[in-house]
Formats: sequence, structure tokens, C-alpha cells
Amino acid sequence: MKNLSAVIAIGLAAAAASNATAQDFLDRVDEALTFTTLNGDVRARVSGTLDLEAYYFSGPAPGLIRTTSDALFNPRLSLFVDAQLGDSIYVFTQTRVDRGFDPSDEGAQLRLDEYAVRFTPWKDGRFNLQAGQFSTVVGTYVARHVSWENPFINAPLPYENVTAIEDMSAPYASFLSVGPPAEKYEHNPVIWGPSYATGVSVAGRLGQFDYAAEIKNASLSSRPESWPITRMDFDHPTVSGRIGFRPNEMWTFGFSASDGAYFRPEAKPTLPVGQDIGDFHERVLGQDISFAWHHWQLWAEFFEARFEIPGFTDADTFAYYLEAKYKFTPQLFGAVRWNQQFFDDVTSSYGGTAPWGRDLWRADIAAGYRFTAHTQLKLQYSFQHEKNGLRDLTHMIAAQFTVRF
Amino acid sequence: MRLALCFCAVLVSSLKFADAQASVEGRVELPKTRSAPLMTKRYEVVTTGGVLGINPPLAVVYLDGSFPKPASLPTKQVAQKDLAFVPTLLPVQVGTKVEFPNLEKDTYHNIFSYSPAKRFDLGRYRPDEKPVPSQIFDVAGLVTLRCDIHEHMRGLILVLGTPHFVTTDDSGHFRLSGLPSGHYTLKAWVDSRTTREQAVDLKSGSNIHVDFPATP
Repeated sequence: MKNLSAVIAIGLAAAAASNATAQDFLDRVDEALTFTTLNGDVRARVSGTLDLEAYYFSGPAPGLIRTTSDALFNPRLSLFVDAQLGDSIYVFTQTRVDRGFDPSDEGAQLRLDEYAVRFTPWKDGRFNLQAGQFSTVVGTYVARHVSWENPFINAPLPYENVTAIEDMSAPYASFLSVGPPAEKYEHNPVIWGPSYATGVSVAGRLGQFDYAAEIKNASLSSRPESWPITRMDFDHPTVSGRIGFRPNEMWTFGFSASDGAYFRPEAKPTLPVGQDIGDFHERVLGQDISFAWHHWQLWAEFFEARFEIPGFTDADTFAYYLEAKYKFTPQLFGAVRWNQQFFDDVTSSYGGTAPWGRDLWRADIAAGYRFTAHTQLKLQYSFQHEKNGLRDLTHMIAAQFTVRF
Repeated sequence: MRLALCFCAVLVSSLKFADAQASVEGRVELPKTRSAPLMTKRYEVVTTGGVLGINPPLAVVYLDGSFPKPASLPTKQVAQKDLAFVPTLLPVQVGTKVEFPNLEKDTYHNIFSYSPAKRFDLGRYRPDEKPVPSQIFDVAGLVTLRCDIHEHMRGLILVLGTPHFVTTDDSGHFRLSGLPSGHYTLKAWVDSRTTREQAVDLKSGSNIHVDFPATP
């Protein structure tokens, strides 16, 4: 009944917000929320998205979704402030009201997820300096991770598949019992979504090459609670970077790397005597390719990650995805994505060797319809297969209605 | 005999031209300068400096009525340059083909419209793309142009059933010439919610003055 109500709510919202009058109204809201000084030197804009999401699962909730139920309704309001101060200074913030950074059945939360100031001294973009709490420079998913841009409702597998890695305590012998984590939220993926950690970045374009490097307070796998500077300091920073090559507008090729400690401070008492948080790193290498031409967009990313674990040899994993989007009509698009992750063997210092996770693959298929330039409805079906899991096959059906203003 | 027919045809068209010499000039009171556009750069790791230009509001003045459709219409263009549409407002007659050349140095654009008068999506295209992406605007109405990559970009194409129209200058002044004589309604399109109108009586060789003040 609750699920039906969520679907009806999404349907009613879609109908109400999808006619020409609503489009005109939202265009006017857009104009009204843009502010400028008389000479145009200072400009600011308030914008946002309202997302209404409904999920249904045939097994345990996949990825970073947290619920014990087989269905979930997840509303989210995201508010953005962007400001341009003169030619060189750009400032932005993102504030969210939702049920948690990732979909969950918890109560409402209000969070400041992003804030940053960017300095661009040259007009050709050869150098940008940015400081604050903001998304990682690693990979290419960040550019489309918000609901309006993402052809899917969830993230690619490397950005959300929870592994056996824990960041709040050392794993000890339980690390080799590779069943699904009982308390999923105590564990981490290779990259936690857009990874809005706090720090400083430099980036720029030199001819056909892009570069970006950042120093952040938390690793790529770190949970959202670790991202604010008030929660994690810079005692054990993570350094990441990406080099991109763009031979023309159609193609981009990139190489990313990241290295940093992944344990949170509360893990320190659980570490072996004489060892510190800084002794256990997450190291990630990434390769990305993207292509866009006319109504096609293609993306592929490959990640090789290594976690140093107390009492075990290094835990290695390889994850990748291939994604394609095609616009069938001006308003209707479809997307498919193939995701896969493999886990290597680890050996305990007490003996015993086993894989530290179950290999899995997931196929995602989605369709989206933009009613207006401000309203969009997406439907997604995902089919996941885990090797030798308790539940080998799981299905997920999801719907997401977005109003952008 | 053929020569005589040609002479008659030239004479008739000259008379028609002489008959179409009425003109109207005046001023449309324009709304205040609109807000300056702001480019969203949150998730662009590499960005360039500088600010986007401010385009002042303009109006389109046109003679409403029923006019014969010409055999062919000139092709118009709405270019993309410095992350903005040029021009930002283009009036065209129904049936006009409009090209959308990308004049950037190395940036994709993806122009689309969801307006009822014309829905289209050109997809992502390069600056040197040939043939230049184009659309034929065959239904009268207002078409809002947007870019799927650059959210701040807005352009307008006003598709009109009349061949007699002109865009004002920045201060609202206009001159519409070559008009047929007769009783017509002169309209000033100001924005999607505002079109002002006045009845005009055009006589051959006349030049009348019409202002469109803002409605109190």
C-alpha cells in the first residue's frame, strides 16, 4: 500500500509539473532566482532539484541503499547556490534535505554537502585553484552524478557496491567470511559516490590535455560522515589526480590515481599494537574513456583498488562498467549499463587464503522522459548476479521523478 | 508578344512595389534589463575565466494579418558563440529554415526545444560539423531554445504568420517599411506573457508613428 502511494505520488507530481504552464512558471522562477549587481560583476543564482524516488527489491537492498524492507520511498530536495564574482572567482554550495546521503528509511536530515571557492586567474583555463568540500577529480562519473544528468537512478557499481572493507574497525578473522555484510553501513565501496571530501584541488587545460590533482581529508572509499572538516582532519590526507587527453570534442581518455589512509579515528584502538591509521592505505588506479556524438553518449571506467588490511595481505579488487545513452526523440532517452567487480584472494597472518568478496555482475537498463525542460521521469530495472551468494540473483525496479528549478 | 508580356509583368510588379511603400516607426517601451546569465561550473573540473555577456531585452514589432506565402524564404541562422545564442531573439516567417552553427573554438553544443510550436533535439555537434544542423519552423508560436550541456543558455525564435516584422534596437526603436496599405493590427511582442497591439490604417506612401508604452 505504501509502495502504491509512492508510485501514485510520483505520477501525480509528474502530471502536475509537466504542462506548458508549469514550464513557464518554472522558467520565471529560474529568472527570479538569478541576481546580479548593476554592472554584472557579481552574479548569483539559486537553483535546485526535487527528486521523488521509489524502489522495489527482490532481495536485500543493493548498493548503498539502506533499508530492511523490500521497498523504499526516498524524497530529496537539493538546493544549489552558484555565484560568480568578477572574472576569476566562482563560489558554489549544495544543501540537501533527504533521508540520508544515500537512499534510506531514516528520518529527515538537513546537510550542507558541498561548498567551495574556485579561483581561475587566466581566461584560457590553464589553471584553477579550488578549496572547500567538493566532489573528487577522479574518474568521469562526477560530471553526471546529479539526478538530472544521470541516465540512471543509481550510481555505477564501483561507486556504490559495498565490499568487506570496514573503516571504523580492523576486520580480523571475520574478514574472510565473505557473506553480505550484516551491517552494510559499516562497510565501504571502492569509491563512495561523488566523494565530497574536504580539501584543495588544482586543475587546468593545456592544449589537448587536462590535469587535476587534489589533497583531501578522507579517502575515496570514505563515508559521507568523514567528508566534513569538522569530522576528519588532515592528519592522514588522501592525494588523488587525473590526467585527461581530449583529441577532439567527441573523445576523452583519462588516467586517475589515488592514495590515502582509509580508517576513521575510531578504528585506532582496534589496530595492531604499534600501528597507526596512516599505515593502512587505499590505493586506486583508474582509466576512463568517454564518447559523445549527436544522440549517443558512451562512458567506460575501470578501477584497480588495493586496501592494506591489518593481519592480512593486501586486498585487491577490479571493478568496471560500460554505459551507453541514446536519445530516441527530443524527450525520450534510453540507457544500458554493464557493471562487474572481481575480488582477489587474501591470506591471513594466521594462515588461510580466500577471496575477500564475491565476484558479481549487474546489468542496468533505464528509460527517461523529459516532459519539459524542468521535469523528468526515469524508470530503471537492475539485475544483479553474485557468485555463490546466498541470493545469487536480485532484481531492483526503481522510478524517479525530478523537478529542476 | 513575349516582350510585351514581360513589360506588363514588370509594370505590374512596379505598381505593387509603389503600393507597398507605407511604413511605421516608433518605440516599444522595453522591460528592465534582465539578469545577467551565470554559468554553472560545479562539476566541470577545468573551467575558463571571464563572465558571460548580458543581452539587453528586445521586442519584435509585426503587422498582423493574412498575407500570401512567398515561394521561398531565406535561410536564417542562430549561432552559438561564447556560450550564448547569437542572436538571442530571432523573428522568422512560418516555413523558414533556421541553421544552428556552432561557432565556438572547441566546445560541443546540444540545442533543443520542448516548445509546442517546435520540439527538436539536435544532439551534440562540433564547431566544424557539416551540414550545419537546421530545422524548419512550420508552426507559428514562440520557440524557446536551450542547450543540454550549458544550462544557462536561452534563445528565442518567434515564428510569425506575417512577412512584415522587425526587431527593435536596444532602446526599443523600430522602423517597419514596405508595408501594404490597408487596415491592420500592429503588434509588439515583448516577452512570452506580453504582446501589445494597436490598430493602424496604412496608406500608400504614408509614414506613421506608433509607440507601445508599457501597460500601467
